[in-house]
Amino acid sequence: MHIELNKREPVYVQVVRYFKKQIASGALEAGAEIPSRRELANQLKINPNTVQRAYKEMESIGLIQTKGNLPSTVTEDELMIREIRESLLNDAIHSFMATVRSLRMSVDDVIPLLEAREKEEESL
Amino acid sequence: MIDVKHVKKSYGRKRVLKDISFTAEKGEITCLVGVNGSGKTTILNAIMNLTPIQEGNILIDGKQLTKETYERMTYIPDTITMLPSMKIQDAFAFMKEHYHAWNEKRATELLSFFKLEKEEKIQSLSKGNKAKVNMLLGLALDVDYILMDEPFSGIDIFSREQITDVFTSHLIADRGVIITTHEIQDIEHLIDQVVLLDEGVVVRQFYAENVREEEGKSIVDVMREVYRQ
Repeated sequence: MHIELNKREPVYVQVVRYFKKQIASGALEAGAEIPSRRELANQLKINPNTVQRAYKEMESIGLIQTKGNLPSTVTEDELMIREIRESLLNDAIHSFMATVRSLRMSVDDVIPLLEAREKEEESL
Repeated sequence: MIDVKHVKKSYGRKRVLKDISFTAEKGEITCLVGVNGSGKTTILNAIMNLTPIQEGNILIDGKQLTKETYERMTYIPDTITMLPSMKIQDAFAFMKEHYHAWNEKRATELLSFFKLEKEEKIQSLSKGNKAKVNMLLGLALDVDYILMDEPFSGIDIFSREQITDVFTSHLIADRGVIITTHEIQDIEHLIDQVVLLDEGVVVRQFYAENVREEEGKSIVDVMREVYRQ
């Protein structure tokens, strides 16, 4: 597990985003156990209090749940997982569109380029 | 909580600490940052009552420092204070004899954490390994507060990484840590609070996560603002 950390953004926000991506992509499956707070702090070399804050945030939005002393687990709420996927995709589209528009291009202009790119990546 | 209140200190005519106030919480890592000569080490010495102060006071969990308080806190200076001819195990015996809080089990655990052998002589250790033994002797005490003076200075990158690993492990958990440093880049993500010092004055104290969240700034950004004025 590794995150390229930005020094100007709260670390807890970056940790939450990382988990959202992992869950949205299926790398972390619904109901899967996640590392303990200390394990994660150790793996990422970040402050344990920061990890605590990230986990608290994820608990409050229902992304993970913790029962008693058991390891925290990823939500099994499929609707929520779908929503996270959609919101991550929306973010990607938003920033992509901003760049495309700043170059005075239309979606129609870039679709062939996207298709070409996809082919290229598939052939790798 | 370690509460440093309006501490002033001079060496002769030289005012080293002009007015120092800050707090360090248990369960948090507080980092004193400042260029060489800004008073960092003097502050640690003052907290441990190793040097007299002329004004102000320092409270540990609301109380003045007493003989008993010394069993609840430890100071890891920037160089090892054991005799060079000692083996690591002799240093262990020395610590055991002088401190009730010495925890042999944790010392042994730290020894393997740092991949050191207890038969090794301190004088034959590399600089990085000396720093690790120095750190080990402090961390193996069951104390609430740990003060470390420049734990990262002048050692190789791998020793440094091993030492930073300590900060995220159970070996530090729930204790209050104050460290001093003049190079913060490598440990920005490890610390809770930052206290910026300049010529014997605290110019700013803040939580690293808060300035990231509220101002979109890194610790170094804040330092640049403060020190370049």
